[in-house]
Amino acid sequence: MTEATSQTLLASLPASFDTGPDWLRTLRGRAAATLREQGLPTKRTEAWRFTPVRSLVDSEFSRDDEGVPALVSGVPEGVTVRGLTEVLESQPELLQGRLDLGGAPTHFAALNTALFRDGLWIDVPAGAVVEAPIEISHTSPTSSEPGVVYPRVLITAGEGAELTLIETYAGGRAAQLSNSVVEVELGRNAKMNHVRVHENAGLQIGRVDVRQDADSGYRSTVVTLGGALLRFDVRCLLQGKGAECQLDGAYLTDGDDHVDHHTLVEHQAPHCRSGQTYRGIVSGKSTAVFDGVVIVHRDAQKTEAHQENRNLLLSDTATIHTKPHLEIDADDVICSHGATVGALDEDQLFYLRARGVPEDFALAMLTYAFVESIVDRMSHEPTRARMREALLSRIPHGDEIREVT
Amino acid sequence: MLKIEDLHVEVDGKPILKGINLDIEAGQVHAIMGPNGSGKSTLAYALAGREGYEVTKGSVLYKGQDLLEMAPELRAAEGVFLGFQYPVAIPGVSNIYFLKAALNAIRKHRGEDPLDAIDFMKLSKQKAALVQLPDELTKRSVNDGFSGGEKKRNEIYQMAMLEPSLAVLDETDSGLDIDALKVVAQGVNGLRGPDRALLVITHYQRLLDYIVPDVVHVLINGQIVRTGDKDLAKRLEKEGYSEVRDATQL
Ligand SMILES: Nc1ncnc2c1ncn2[C@@H]1O[C@H](COP(=O)(O)OP(=O)(O)O)[C@@H](O)[C@H]1O
Ligand SMILES: [Mg+2]
Repeated sequence: MTEATSQTLLASLPASFDTGPDWLRTLRGRAAATLREQGLPTKRTEAWRFTPVRSLVDSEFSRDDEGVPALVSGVPEGVTVRGLTEVLESQPELLQGRLDLGGAPTHFAALNTALFRDGLWIDVPAGAVVEAPIEISHTSPTSSEPGVVYPRVLITAGEGAELTLIETYAGGRAAQLSNSVVEVELGRNAKMNHVRVHENAGLQIGRVDVRQDADSGYRSTVVTLGGALLRFDVRCLLQGKGAECQLDGAYLTDGDDHVDHHTLVEHQAPHCRSGQTYRGIVSGKSTAVFDGVVIVHRDAQKTEAHQENRNLLLSDTATIHTKPHLEIDADDVICSHGATVGALDEDQLFYLRARGVPEDFALAMLTYAFVESIVDRMSHEPTRARMREALLSRIPHGDEIREVT
Repeated sequence: MLKIEDLHVEVDGKPILKGINLDIEAGQVHAIMGPNGSGKSTLAYALAGREGYEVTKGSVLYKGQDLLEMAPELRAAEGVFLGFQYPVAIPGVSNIYFLKAALNAIRKHRGEDPLDAIDFMKLSKQKAALVQLPDELTKRSVNDGFSGGEKKRNEIYQMAMLEPSLAVLDETDSGLDIDALKVVAQGVNGLRGPDRALLVITHYQRLLDYIVPDVVHVLINGQIVRTGDKDLAKRLEKEGYSEVRDATQL
């Protein structure tokens, strides 16, 4: 259903919210009020300093988010997948206290909260260990008119539950904006593997918000293959003792791409562990941003937190901003962080060449190896294979590398 | 096979090699011995074509061709092999896959067809066995997590796969225990032949008990100060480099 009118994002906020349960109307109303007061971010908003959202804020979009997000495969045994609208109509109490990102959402997440229409609720009950991955895809409309979609997904995993979620965001047209929010609640000892692929994403603003209870584990692997304007934020709140998260990402940018990855891990409880490894290959006239924050609260003793961002800068006209950042208020912690921007390792290059590998092929091998190491950590082999293919198709000499691997 | 004349090499503007002369004929094994910092690795790198090793004077002819004009991969394609003193680890690049790319590039240069996967694996198994390199290590990332001895065996395994005409082995013996040394030496000796030549760089004479050289050179402070037969190595072992240095007033 395409609405006749095309509006700016802020103008599309209604004056009042008249449908759905009271608590949701309140939630949406508050999000809208926050937006009216603060507006959408600008260059002066610290966390959005490098993200050129001005054009998004000024542009007019029409809405057409029928069927987004969609389940790709069947629902594995042990998992319940329901439409958010259907639950909000029939059993709204099940969602009360959720869908608020653990507090008052701002900016694009607030916009999604105010305006999302439908979405998916994926629930894995306590004790259910689901091996088969759940796959969902978010496809932007193919219309040439500027359009916006607000995908919304809620994942809840009960005590000891385990699941793998594979999300694909695709949409070739630059005029199509997807502003998504995925919320994850992991109960005690629950484990989630989350693979997220941004493939030829046009305009993408995405947010993943994870709340973790004691001894739970969350592993995210994000692969971003270009993007006219992509901003991805993942936030993990380690709320229970012994929780762990690992956030990995690989990005390849070229042409005029702007690709922006932000992570935030909050260690709120003791004995938690977090790791982050993001790697990027930045070419052409593109810009890549990595902004990673780890916050260790005062009571979060015995925290272990590591953060690493490495970039290969393959052209003189490309730009990288990298800002790994730790805020530590506890004293008994092990933390490390680091960022590099560089070219390929000369010693490695010479070794390959001295054995007979032609220079351009050796460069391609090292480039591929640099990001493939992230893909290699994915637990789901079919996705891993698909990602390898996607990388090979974007790297020079990909065909020859495929032949020898 | 290899004719080095008055070779001067600078690194970062600092003269390291100061007029090397060396003539290696097909079928011969030459050894270069010398104290740390004398320029042995610099010579090896200059022969392999490493960037930053600037030849300021002199010439190197390999099979009658100007070696110094060639890119590193072309030298390899023409049959030059360098066994590194410190082989670098390359996480994410599989040993065997990169070697296949190298071997097929070399074969292409010679006008030969690429080896197919089956023949290549067969060859790899055979060569790995020769140097007792576990098959599993041939498939791992290049030198990644390898012990010192495994790295050196990997170098010789790769050499055996590529079958070079001229192999320059830079301290392939360092860090090896006597059993590993014998295995490595055996691998190297397996490659000796009338059409091949070896330049063995070593700090200790021990290796030369197993790879017996035709000619031994002593390199000190960027110059070859002595040349002799294998007994020179034995004498060095006994008397030390300082004696030689004193005797030649360097
Ligand atoms: N990359 C380099 N940069 C600066 N100096 C170097 C470099 N490589 C070698 N050198 C210097 O060149 C000299 C010879 O080194 P090298 O050839 O490694 O000696 P050897 O292998 O005989 O121990 C030493 O003084 C060393 O410090
Ligand atoms: Mg050396």
